[in-house]
Amino acid sequence: MQFKSQAVAKPYFIAAIGLFVGQILFGLILGLQYVLGDFLFPEIPFNVARMVHTNLLIVWLLFGFMGGAYYMIPEEAETDLFSPKLALLMFWIFLVAGALTIVGYLTVPYATLAAMTGNDLVETMGREFLEQPLPTKLGIVVVALAFLFNITMTVLKGKKTAIATVLLIGLWGLAVFFLFSFYNPVNVVLDKFWWWWTVHLWVEGVWELILGSFLAFVLIKTTGVDREVIEKWLYVIVTLTLISGIIGTGHHYFWIGTPEYWQWWGSVFSALEPIPFFGMTVFAFNMVNRRRREHPNKAAVLWALGTGVMAFLGAGVWGFLHTLAPVNYYTHGSQITAAHGHMAFYGAYAMVNLMMISYAMPILNGRAANSNKSQVVEMWSFWLMTIAMVFITLFLTAAGILQVWLQRVSDTPLPFMVAQEKIVLFYWMREWAGVVFLIGLILYIASFFIGGKEEAAK
Amino acid sequence: MTDTLSVAPPNPVPTKHLPGDLAIWFFILAELLAFAVFFSAYAFTRTNHVELFNLYQQTLDRNAGALNTVLLITGSWFVVLAVKAAHRDEQKAISRNILLGFLCGGAFLVVKVFEYSAKFGAGISMSTNTFYMFYISLTFFHFMHVILGMVILAILWFQSRQGAYGSHHMNGLESGAAYWHMVDLLWIILFPLVYVMH
Amino acid sequence: MSGAFTKSMARNIFYGGTTFFFLLFLALTFDTHTQLPKRDMRQNITPQIAEGKKLWEVNNCIGCHTLMGEGAYFAPELGNVIVRYGDEGVKAFIQSRPKEGIPGRRSMPQFNFTDEQLDAIVAFLKHVNSINDANWPPNDQG
Repeated sequence: MQFKSQAVAKPYFIAAIGLFVGQILFGLILGLQYVLGDFLFPEIPFNVARMVHTNLLIVWLLFGFMGGAYYMIPEEAETDLFSPKLALLMFWIFLVAGALTIVGYLTVPYATLAAMTGNDLVETMGREFLEQPLPTKLGIVVVALAFLFNITMTVLKGKKTAIATVLLIGLWGLAVFFLFSFYNPVNVVLDKFWWWWTVHLWVEGVWELILGSFLAFVLIKTTGVDREVIEKWLYVIVTLTLISGIIGTGHHYFWIGTPEYWQWWGSVFSALEPIPFFGMTVFAFNMVNRRRREHPNKAAVLWALGTGVMAFLGAGVWGFLHTLAPVNYYTHGSQITAAHGHMAFYGAYAMVNLMMISYAMPILNGRAANSNKSQVVEMWSFWLMTIAMVFITLFLTAAGILQVWLQRVSDTPLPFMVAQEKIVLFYWMREWAGVVFLIGLILYIASFFIGGKEEAAK
Repeated sequence: MTDTLSVAPPNPVPTKHLPGDLAIWFFILAELLAFAVFFSAYAFTRTNHVELFNLYQQTLDRNAGALNTVLLITGSWFVVLAVKAAHRDEQKAISRNILLGFLCGGAFLVVKVFEYSAKFGAGISMSTNTFYMFYISLTFFHFMHVILGMVILAILWFQSRQGAYGSHHMNGLESGAAYWHMVDLLWIILFPLVYVMH
Repeated sequence: MSGAFTKSMARNIFYGGTTFFFLLFLALTFDTHTQLPKRDMRQNITPQIAEGKKLWEVNNCIGCHTLMGEGAYFAPELGNVIVRYGDEGVKAFIQSRPKEGIPGRRSMPQFNFTDEQLDAIVAFLKHVNSINDANWPPNDQG
């Protein structure tokens, strides 16, 4: 570790992994509710479990982004973090706020939670992914601003590299677009229109800058390829991301009451969205092939290549499958959407965080890389989780195609629940793939505790 | 790097090269792709609504479109002259020609604004019908590109006044010129496609 | 300068290109807001409909259902549920959910709504159904 203050990243990474486990456990509960409808009912109804599943995902990814930034920024800026104490304080605030929110979800009926937390003052709750009570939303803003202040000051007093700049733009964008979560007009069309400014402009906009920046950082460190080369490709890729992704928001404006020209604008630009993801894949493989040294941390390189491929498949290919308006007319809001969502989030954002953790954790523990034994286990976990996710996606896609056919395309459309019962086999298979994913995750955590002959510290 | 071009013009440059920066070519390719998809969508939709498209195409101002074609081609020609002047290190000619190119772009915008105000004044919008949806989408998307191209020309002009370009410093000028030619090229496809062909 | 590929050019294009496409998106957003009043039936929004939307939100209905295709995919689309069930049918369905669920089947909680609340929910769902959403869903099954 080059700078002492990088150590604040460690609790962030540990919390991220802990919340990731929670996310997967609730994912398994949801999967089971898909096949055994009244499982855990009425204690944990589906909507509560889903809210916990998706909110844990968002929060652990944010923990990962913050940890990654705290690790990376001092090394890029070549100076210690502006205030490690502030970073640590924010860690505890965010963790406690996050934990209280989840406890609130699980112990109190949602309507009671809303009444308790001042939803009547500013009505922001009860919209997908933005279910957090008002105090939590405000807490996210405070933590994000303190975090941004901290790393921006660090960059300002140190070197301003392209990688750090792209990361800062991504993180500032994350904070700015979150502000739209406070806008909830009575007009449901306006509500949905601006809701996407948070949701879409996060995951298909500024988060991709964070992804690209993390990837570029780890590639420089592990391959030894010239910074100049990596940084100019990073700029090209994030340019392609934003020129396709910003107007690509239009693919959410097909059927929510917005003007019909969005069917064209949205289709045209989101058809281009796979290109930057493909660029990222080619970029990762190219840099690894041109490597000038053999980094002892092979697992981190594997995650880096993996995130390139899986983000392209999940976000690029599975996104394109149903993004054109004539196709989306039939697939909108079906299991195909769920299939795409799972692989895209895992491939792009879960994996890039795991890559960063894989690269940084050994160094934070005082060694260049973990022992060979530990890395072998980590690579097993990589393959188990990744292949399990591929199968989850395939099963959901199959379920989605059948659902769309039975419920929307055939001459005698079936009611929703009748169609669901006919495709239950695929939900069972998805659940078993989920179990394999959990085994992979357990192995991943186990790999942290496997000793053996360690690689020497730098 | 610069040596190949400082050789006198009669000797052809030994290796073919892309004028301008590779980065601008990625951007140009992405833009061309977006337009290509949009143009294909237009052509594809038109085959299903030939009569509607032919009917409303009549309402477009072809003379204004033709004038604009001439303006953009002239603008591109000035930009070519600017690049040639840079090869010969004629500083004044560089900035003069860039300025002329910029003015052609400005004239294009003026003509287009007149055309738009007639259409919008008649209450036509992207939601009027499929033909106007394409007409406004495509021409407005292009209109914005003309503005972007003019911003780039303005930067080039400003830089050229400070002597930033010459036979040894072609990268920025060639990149901007390539972008401006793309804006021109897109119009040369758009004009016949939307205004004329039926 | 043959075959140049410079970081400064890549950076400038990143800033310029992003700004450009964001401005274009803003222009489209502006046009959308001029067109929305013709499609979103805002003139019909009553306090009752607003109350219905709030009930929809604070009971996290979107955690199981979709509304105009957005939400969770565990339970049916509700943007057109009025077409399938009718006003009274929707109310009767919500009211009749057993507290302990239905053994072995996907179960909807019993929310214990008052009659006024049920009316508000129905008013909201009817309002959503009246929005011009380009003929989505493809059929009444949602």
